[in-house]
Amino acid sequence: MNCDEVTRDLDAFVDRELAADAVAPIRHHLGACASCRQRVTDREALGRLVRSVPYYDAPELLCARVSGQVQRTRSGRRLVTWAAAAVLVLSVGGGISLVRSAATRSDAAIDDVVNGHVRSLMAEHLFDIRSTDQHTVKPWFLGKLDFSPPVVDLASVGFPLVGGRLDYVAGRPVAALVYQRQKHTINVFVCPASNATTTLRARAVRGFHVHHWMRDGMSFWAVSDLNDVELMEFVRALQTI
Amino acid sequence: MPSRVFEEIVLPHLDAAFNYARWLTRNDADAEDVIQDACVRAVRFFPSLRDDDARGWLFAIVRNTWYSRLSRRAGAAEALPLDSRTDEPADSALDPEARLLQQFAVARVREALEQLPVDFREVLVLREIEGMSYKEIAAIVRVPIGTVMSRLARARDRLSAVLKPPSLSMERVP
Repeated sequence: MNCDEVTRDLDAFVDRELAADAVAPIRHHLGACASCRQRVTDREALGRLVRSVPYYDAPELLCARVSGQVQRTRSGRRLVTWAAAAVLVLSVGGGISLVRSAATRSDAAIDDVVNGHVRSLMAEHLFDIRSTDQHTVKPWFLGKLDFSPPVVDLASVGFPLVGGRLDYVAGRPVAALVYQRQKHTINVFVCPASNATTTLRARAVRGFHVHHWMRDGMSFWAVSDLNDVELMEFVRALQTI
Repeated sequence: MPSRVFEEIVLPHLDAAFNYARWLTRNDADAEDVIQDACVRAVRFFPSLRDDDARGWLFAIVRNTWYSRLSRRAGAAEALPLDSRTDEPADSALDPEARLLQQFAVARVREALEQLPVDFREVLVLREIEGMSYKEIAAIVRVPIGTVMSRLARARDRLSAVLKPPSLSMERVP
């Protein structure tokens, strides 16, 4: 394989989109060619740069408007436009600063959650308690946290519980539950929340999928490199327990 | 139509959809309009969602909404970036000088990305920020997978040419 052929497949190689039999000759070439190695490194560095740009979360007002729209569609009622507009005008002034700080807080939490996930995989400190038995994992948290996280095994739907540990999110100790799907690890972080229930929010951070929701006074984050469709399946299973 | 299900399946992807729309439109106001219109369409088309890939499905609707708005504006130039974001997140573990440098780098990358033609911009956002596979991107952008690959390659070439000095030359292979 020569440099031109490597150039042709460079992006698919860096993006891990090449079939295994096409990867081997490239690796072989890279072992001998410093300039192609450099180009791979540059591509990877560029990817990190692009991933460092800010993620634009949907503004809270927009979320509220959209779910309002959906509900109106369901009930078939007509829009009471002027009333909605009046409410909007009233709430815009006071709402902005609140929304901003809330967004910043949730950003920090999401960063912590992703960092916690990465750390757990890299340091191989995935478990404080290694067990597939929810009746062993749940009592383990007793006395270590000031709340009792819900712990369920989802092996019956293809996501076995494999253990748990203590972790930190936004400066407070949280329960981390570890699930497995084939070779993929899913970390679920749980801590008490002020809001009783919110809708699920999903986003990708540094190549990981993060889903966040609140339910029964608990805040949940699920993080994994598992593809979004299967992770959603997992989240739905966890939510319906 | 089971709206409860719509809320559970589609709305979780609202942030991601907004982020995508924001990169397409390059300003908050247009992105919000696109998302609102797209959600109205999404509710209507919801019964046509066959598989479980709600994110890709919603992104395709967002994209169509954006392009049909563009063509309605017939020939109008893309709106200028209305930049309201100065609060770049910085790594608090860095010292103040390194943090400044990082913020500078992030601002430069964002600007460079915004200046790319929209076809290039969107494949980079879908690949790098949303972590989508070529197949997923191909379905949203409605081009063959090979086109996704060549477009990504050209987008990255353009972007690294713009960013070349000095941020990319820092990492050297021994």
